[in-house]
Amino acid sequence: MNVCGYLPESINEGAGLRAVLFVSGCRHACEGCFNAASWDFEAGEPFAEAMSMRILQDMLDNPLLDGLTLCGGDPFFSPEECSAFLYSFRKLCPGKNVWAYTGFTFEALMRQPKRRELALLCDVIVDGKFQMELRDVSLPFRGSSNQRLIDVAASVEHGDVVEWVLR
Amino acid sequence: MKVMKRDGCLVNFEMSRIVKAVDKAFIAVEGASREQAALEIGVRAAHIAAGMDQVTVEEIQDIVVEHLQSSGYTEVAAAYQQYREIRDLERVRRGELYKISRDVIGVANLDLLRENANLNGDSFSGKMSRIGSEYAKWMASHFVLPAELMRAVKDGYVYVHDLDQYALGTTNCIFIPFNRLLERGFNTGNGSVRPPQSIMTAMALVAIIFQSQQNSQFGGVSGSKIDWDLAPYVGKSFRRHFRKGVAYLEEAAQRTSMAGILPDNELYIDNEQLKETYPRTYRYAYNETVNEVKQAAESLIHNLNTMSSRAGGQIPFTSLNYGMCTSTEGRLVSHALLDATMRGLGGGETPIFPQHIFQCKQGVNQREGDPNYDLFLKAVECSSRRLYPNFVNVDASFNLAYYSPDDPDTIIATMGCRTRTIADRFGRNRLSGKGNLSFNTINLVRLGIEHGILEGKRDLPDLTHFFKQLDHYMVIAVEGLIHRYELQADQPAKASDFMMREGVWEGGEVLSPEDKVRDLIKHGTLALGFIGLAECLKALTGQHHGEDETSHRLGVEIIRHMRQFCDEASERYNLNISLFATPAEGLSGKFTKLDRHTFGVIKGVTDREYYTNSFHVPVYHPMAAYRKIRSEAPFHELCNAGAISYVELDGNARQNTAAFREIVQFALQQNIGYFSVNHPVDRCPACNYEGIIGSACPGCGASEADENFQRLRRVTGYLTGNYTERFNSAKQAEVRDRVKHL
Repeated sequence: MNVCGYLPESINEGAGLRAVLFVSGCRHACEGCFNAASWDFEAGEPFAEAMSMRILQDMLDNPLLDGLTLCGGDPFFSPEECSAFLYSFRKLCPGKNVWAYTGFTFEALMRQPKRRELALLCDVIVDGKFQMELRDVSLPFRGSSNQRLIDVAASVEHGDVVEWVLR
Repeated sequence: MKVMKRDGCLVNFEMSRIVKAVDKAFIAVEGASREQAALEIGVRAAHIAAGMDQVTVEEIQDIVVEHLQSSGYTEVAAAYQQYREIRDLERVRRGELYKISRDVIGVANLDLLRENANLNGDSFSGKMSRIGSEYAKWMASHFVLPAELMRAVKDGYVYVHDLDQYALGTTNCIFIPFNRLLERGFNTGNGSVRPPQSIMTAMALVAIIFQSQQNSQFGGVSGSKIDWDLAPYVGKSFRRHFRKGVAYLEEAAQRTSMAGILPDNELYIDNEQLKETYPRTYRYAYNETVNEVKQAAESLIHNLNTMSSRAGGQIPFTSLNYGMCTSTEGRLVSHALLDATMRGLGGGETPIFPQHIFQCKQGVNQREGDPNYDLFLKAVECSSRRLYPNFVNVDASFNLAYYSPDDPDTIIATMGCRTRTIADRFGRNRLSGKGNLSFNTINLVRLGIEHGILEGKRDLPDLTHFFKQLDHYMVIAVEGLIHRYELQADQPAKASDFMMREGVWEGGEVLSPEDKVRDLIKHGTLALGFIGLAECLKALTGQHHGEDETSHRLGVEIIRHMRQFCDEASERYNLNISLFATPAEGLSGKFTKLDRHTFGVIKGVTDREYYTNSFHVPVYHPMAAYRKIRSEAPFHELCNAGAISYVELDGNARQNTAAFREIVQFALQQNIGYFSVNHPVDRCPACNYEGIIGSACPGCGASEADENFQRLRRVTGYLTGNYTERFNSAKQAEVRDRVKHL
């Protein structure tokens, strides 16, 4: 798996202050994508041990961080590698949460075992393709109004999609 | 016999020079030389001059004109006179004064016009003001400043702020005791004003007091606890609405038994019994009151952005501190001020004034369950949209020491720019009724270059001589403050007019117009400031305090040394001398220019157009927000005249107030005294979209070529409209270089 960007602190990809990892590779090819250069699975550099150590270290050092966001590309095209990383993340950073962005719908993720495994490691998933005609700049953390902020735990418990609300 | 020339030097008298000049006049008038007549005039002038042991050029010329006239050569006398005037004019043209006015009038020197970001230097009245100010500076630097200080200024070691006010003896800034002025009423000089009977009137008078006070001084005007000051007038409004309600809404029986009988002290918002007994009237009175506070706050904010108090369309530099008053009335004031600021001005645009400062305190407004926590959250939301309020830390160790829960005048507050003036060796350890008198700033960078390693003259910094030179210039700067203080103290009360007459400066009301203000202004502070700690450290050691831990320790040592110097100077002169993290608006490019001229371009030191503000980690240094906060925190305690720290947010902060709040609270926990978050606030006039706008508006798609996007940025703590129009070149460069910490 390659990654094509890392922001040690950001306010734009989820609630609170977050570290953001951009995972290379996406086949959704949405028109008007904010980051088309990241579609290429070979973009950026391999996600090496040093990089993953650095992210975990930042999480431990930076008292302001609320958690990590997986962005892309689409991390759900690399579910195994992402899950492996999140397992160590969960172990080392118990107080922090995880957001992830995907072009798949939440329902689709739930039907595919590997993607479902990754989804269950996340707290909030921003789902759905970006749709130019539904573009709305006033929506926090997403680009078009079809995209949802999904509370993963509540959705699993409820057996249906529960949208995440700011508490 | 000697002749004194215009530049003051003495030369021998030479008759031939007179003869030559007179002959030129003959040639001009008669077309031919008249050597004989010219010689005659020369001889007669020499004869008169011989009786004096010293004569000026002007006197000789007067003698010549007189003799030409008395000899019947009136036309030649006129020609001579005309030639003399032309030469005088040429001399003036070569002079600095002429150049100053020419540059101001012709808009030739943009940095001169934009020295003050809030003055419209392109306007007629702005130019008038600049010319006056430039002349006053010239006057002060040539004839008033102590010679040693002048030398240090010229050489780029020290900067005297607000030099144009130096010779006049004007004072800088003040916290206004609004409670006292409103309680007693006041006189603006053109008319007297009764104490207000409602919150609407009280807030209108707040604007008038700000405006009147602004003309008594040159710096900021601030309300240190406006929620406490205005709460009683919310109460008055409630009483009025309640009595009116009783008269119109209640049944006849109740009306006759109660109306007018209810004493004032029972008519207050929190009186539960009132609410039960007169539910309809209470509801009416409460709603009317809330509505009135809201409208009053809205018109106050409009007033403070629209009424110019000085030339060049300058509105008063106003600040409002609030957030600590937990009474229902006081809370209504704070809510209304924040709501009005979020709503914005007429077109929804962000108000530039007043500067809002939210006073943060554990147990009052910092946690769920604290009585004013809702106000803190609203302040965060407001700041995420409007860049205001800033956050001042009542819990910081150095502020808490002065805080007494019984006296709201001991709640720490700031002047918009960051000035802090709570401590007083003469006992007035509170905020209102005094302020800062003046400040001088030390250029740390120049000292760093002279004693550091970057010039290649040594391998290790020469700290012994660095500190020695620092002391040398601190002595000069502080003696300059004292010299200026003497001018200020010697002013009669009538010079500062409103400030003394109305007791805005505490005690001024008992002075007669001719009394000197000395005994009162000693309660104010004199501040020694500094700029460019980052570049100084870079020049000394090769790394600034954001890059290296050892440099950071050295930085703290330097600033601690300066603070110690101020403390000792306070004892020596028996005055309040404090250390200031200078807000460096007009200054940020001046030292850099001088230093680059002397030392050339040194990478990381003089290679930008500006020096980094006070002890800040450079805006161009990439660094996580928490690390920047931790790095700057230790300096806050040392700068007792005030300091501010910022982090830069890249993104639309209004959509992520959780992050915003966490950052603010983290800074407060780190013992930072005064804090704010910078983030881009752009506005599209076509669709009113507010947020980040690149080359096209994300809201309506309008392009930069077609729409004039308003881009709001902060400078020296105050906001400034379109920064590309009002900032000087150094400040614009600094804004371009700001890296976001997030």
